[in-house]
Amino acid sequence: MLQAILIGLVAVFMVLDSRLLGRLNFERPLITCTLVGIIMGDLKTGLLVGAQMEMITLGMMSIGASGVDMNIGSITGCALVISSGASIETALTIAVPMTLLDQLLTTVADVIRIQLCHTCDNYVEKSEYAKARRVHILYGPIVYSVFKFIPVFLAVYFGNDLITAIVNAVPDFIMNGVSLGANLISFFGFAMLLSTMINAKNCIYFFLGFAIPAYSGLGLTAIAVISIIVAIVLYQLKFGDGNNLQTAGPSDDYDELEDDF
Amino acid sequence: MSREGLEAQRNYPLNKKVREYFWGGWCMQALWNYERQMNTAFMWGISKTLDRLYPKPEEDEKKKERYKSALEFFNITPQFGAFVLGLTAAMEEEYAENPDTFDPNMIKSVKVALMGPLSGVGDSLFQGTVRVIAMSIGVSLAQNGSILGPILAMAISFGVSFPITWYGAKLGYLNGQKFLSQIANSNLMDKIMFGCSVAGLMVIGGMVASLVTITTPLAYGETLILQEVLDGILPKMIPLVLTGIMYFLVKKGVKPMVVIISCFFVGIILNYFGILAI
Repeated sequence: MLQAILIGLVAVFMVLDSRLLGRLNFERPLITCTLVGIIMGDLKTGLLVGAQMEMITLGMMSIGASGVDMNIGSITGCALVISSGASIETALTIAVPMTLLDQLLTTVADVIRIQLCHTCDNYVEKSEYAKARRVHILYGPIVYSVFKFIPVFLAVYFGNDLITAIVNAVPDFIMNGVSLGANLISFFGFAMLLSTMINAKNCIYFFLGFAIPAYSGLGLTAIAVISIIVAIVLYQLKFGDGNNLQTAGPSDDYDELEDDF
Repeated sequence: MSREGLEAQRNYPLNKKVREYFWGGWCMQALWNYERQMNTAFMWGISKTLDRLYPKPEEDEKKKERYKSALEFFNITPQFGAFVLGLTAAMEEEYAENPDTFDPNMIKSVKVALMGPLSGVGDSLFQGTVRVIAMSIGVSLAQNGSILGPILAMAISFGVSFPITWYGAKLGYLNGQKFLSQIANSNLMDKIMFGCSVAGLMVIGGMVASLVTITTPLAYGETLILQEVLDGILPKMIPLVLTGIMYFLVKKGVKPMVVIISCFFVGIILNYFGILAI
């Protein structure tokens, strides 16, 4: 019971990241599943489920309220995997129906928030500005929190027996196939991410990033560092001082502002 | 015509004002709604400024008008929202100072003009690049069971987000209009987008090659092991080809949930016949 409440609070933390903290990526499965792991006393599984779910969903951008995200599904899946002792990939099979449920509830919350937006208008009309402010900063986050807490709490509290029963009933070859399927979905995540930024001109950078670790076996941290260096070098070659000496006058000012940025 | 409000706003400590616009930015999505998106957030971020500018009861009409203007449609990447709030606050001051000569519609048009470009750059910077780099490092560490993974991912995200929001708010308030004309002249937006796409794409390429292992157990006797042949040509060829297939599906517009559910079935089949394995 206490654990289910705490997991529900992880869901609240997840949704408030993008609501009150400008989306610091604390909402991502890698972070939330780690928290779930800490709460349930199995950090290692939390990290592994988080890494798996993160890879799958990295390409699912949620901008504003549109787009799919599996954040709620990941939290629930991670909690149930730990409590039932199922394999890590099972988290994804729990996350999918949970995501569908979440989308349904989100639609209800969407309607409520449109009403709240009108409430805000009315308060301004009546010159009650403090109340209008409160609608935004208090009622909005409460609506979000309630609609994330309740489904996660119920699923974690009642789901354990169900998941254990299903996992025991399903034959091994299916579970292995599901694990393979989960890894396949990761590539769908990568592809979605790619589709937002790739074009015929810049696709070479994708292949560069692929070829370095494929042939050398370097890790991703190394690739991240190399990629930032390459980006800066190319930036300097392309837009460096040498290319626009004629605008030397205003460029002093411009550098100063760029530092601020 | 009262000057009291204007003085109150101008004399209010700069860092406190910047703090309002900063939180206004970070709380941009607290009441996101399908009708006007981040409108209440914009009102919330600018409201203290308006309260200071129009303190007297007889100025309430004006204040209400400014509140209503703030409640119009708005949408932006939260971190850049602080910049727009700061810029708008400076323009609201200007309007309060010269109500007869300054056209308040200018505030509206600046807001509208900034939404698209700033969101475009903001989303590719924060969602496309910072998030991808932070999470790819985090995932590769977490896969080895290190708690440093999520911690580092959080630190990178915060370390980029916080200063950009804070200095964005300050820059917008102190120097916003000048800055805007400069970036228009220097194509700064395009340059940032270019840098982001290079770094982002390289890391995605790296993820394809190193995060997920998929191999083929197919073999003809002991002499021809397909995986060894593939490795001899291009290691990680299977992940690359799978990414290509998935990219094709994304471009075709297949719904994410459809792909996800199909993958389970395809996975079961390929695994059963020993075509692919983890």
